[in-house]
Amino acid sequence: MLRELAALTRRELLRIARNPAAIFTGLLIPILYLLLFGQGFNLSSLSGLSGGAGGAEASLALREALLGAPSYFSYFAVGMVGFVAVTATLFTGANVIFDKLFGIFKRIAGSPAPSSAVFGSRLLAGAAQPILLALFVLGMAVGLAHIRGLNGLIVTAHVTVLGALEILLAIALLSFMFTSLFLSMGFILEQPQTYFAAVNALNLPVLFTSDALYPWGTMPLWLRNIATFNPVTLAVNTMRENLFPRSAYPFPPEVYLAGLAAWTAFMFGVAILLVRRTLGPRE
Amino acid sequence: MTDPIVAEQLTKTYSNGTKAVQGISFSVRSGEAFGFLGPNGAGKTTTVSMLSAGLAPTSGRGMVGGLDIARDASKIKRRIGIVFQESTADGDLTGRENLEVSAALYGLPRREARRRTEELLQRMELAEAADRLVKTYSGGMRRRLELGVGIVHSPPILFLDEPTLGLDPQGRAGFWRYIRGLRSEHGLTVFLTTHYLDEADQLCDRIAIVDHGQIVATGTPAELKDKVGGDVVTIRPVPGAADPSAVLRALPGALSVQPQDGTVRLKCESGERMVPLAVEACARAGVGVAGVSVQRPSLDEVFLQFTGREYREEEGPTATDRAVRIQRLQERRR
Repeated sequence: MLRELAALTRRELLRIARNPAAIFTGLLIPILYLLLFGQGFNLSSLSGLSGGAGGAEASLALREALLGAPSYFSYFAVGMVGFVAVTATLFTGANVIFDKLFGIFKRIAGSPAPSSAVFGSRLLAGAAQPILLALFVLGMAVGLAHIRGLNGLIVTAHVTVLGALEILLAIALLSFMFTSLFLSMGFILEQPQTYFAAVNALNLPVLFTSDALYPWGTMPLWLRNIATFNPVTLAVNTMRENLFPRSAYPFPPEVYLAGLAAWTAFMFGVAILLVRRTLGPRE
Repeated sequence: MTDPIVAEQLTKTYSNGTKAVQGISFSVRSGEAFGFLGPNGAGKTTTVSMLSAGLAPTSGRGMVGGLDIARDASKIKRRIGIVFQESTADGDLTGRENLEVSAALYGLPRREARRRTEELLQRMELAEAADRLVKTYSGGMRRRLELGVGIVHSPPILFLDEPTLGLDPQGRAGFWRYIRGLRSEHGLTVFLTTHYLDEADQLCDRIAIVDHGQIVATGTPAELKDKVGGDVVTIRPVPGAADPSAVLRALPGALSVQPQDGTVRLKCESGERMVPLAVEACARAGVGVAGVSVQRPSLDEVFLQFTGREYREEEGPTATDRAVRIQRLQERRR
């Protein structure tokens, strides 16, 4: 099984490496968010949190809404880490569809390679990109804080080794979960047009029903209820609790991580069932 | 010892009701090249898909390498090689990488995979293009790579599903040369589907003619031609001459006479003896003869004999073919 897994993962990574335009685009989007949106949409300045014109009450309200983050940018930048972990997985399922259309999947299905190796290779290669991209965004956001005149991510908590591991685990679980979800869609669907339409329909609701971009405290109650179970929220809360003072959150990060792990295990199960169905004898 | 490929009343009915394969039975002997010859939609690919454990039969039994296709799919996949009619190589990888990945899919250790890859690149005359991306390969190179990928794990049984579809005559002849070489060196058992009559004639020890999901005749190419009986004398009258069919039909030894595209095809037991008689009869009837040729019966005649139709008329999509495509489209939409 390991031999097949290694060969198929190598194939996926070679294909990614031979498409530098996709890597560049993947990097460009979060950079633009951090450099343009993050600098321009400055809630902290508006509310007076960073000495702007909002006044003491607005400043206090925003500080409460941001749940311990020292600025809106700091809050938003961690949300971006979760956001890119989703967006960078969007096309993993499309590659499955193209492989089916171009006959490559027929060759794989005709071989005795176990379905776990076929799924595992796509999962590893598919999740590698969002994990690396998320770490890049985190590093860049922290780096921006050291450039005069730019907003950056200010870490106000003492990050322990366990905390750093929890941040890494949250990014990894979120990437694996969404890679499994989009791979599942790739195994079910046959036409790229259908896939892209479905992914576009799913992408924004997932993002907007999480607290990745806007503060928890500004959401209406019904949206908060949905956001509580959103895997992006669970990952982002894990990270924020380890980067900012955690007293503002009702649960410790381990609880959010456990919820995220449950989501990931569920999507793993669905994807493995679907890949077995795709590779097995057709009816 | 059981034959490496055995089909007993193998049947496939798709969910949309299309009966693609209707109770076919045959066996392929060890080391034999067995051809499945039929027009598009005859059920050839469906049969290969079932025997290679990629499609569940509706009923009947299939044994490949002594294993049951319904129960031992994974083991069967290890023992067989397949060359599909469409390209399955990854265009974004090089020829060498494609072979190495395929070798790993069959569990070959890395060192063995590399050795086998080098050997196949040489054998398929792809060594110079080994490190080029496959999307830059010509059609013939891709077909040779497909063959290499199909046999990378040295299987004792090889399925070839319309392997030369779309190749020019030179490319097809080259492909046949590789297959013959492999058979003579390794004693491969080959199951070949094709709708090229000459391909079946050239490559196969035995042929099954399939039509509408059923086998209508089986035998060696020579046996099948003998079943048709006799030679075909083709007479080409000079332009504007009358049709000599009636006078030719009256000749002793004439089995059948059929006008076709400005010529008359006369089937008889001995072409050599018939030619002077036919020319003389035409002269007596005032029909000038521009040319005469004698042919041993071809598989075209065999197909006509067993199905009642000209082979080339069937090359467009049949009702079965269309039904299968509609079902696949429906499945894709789901």
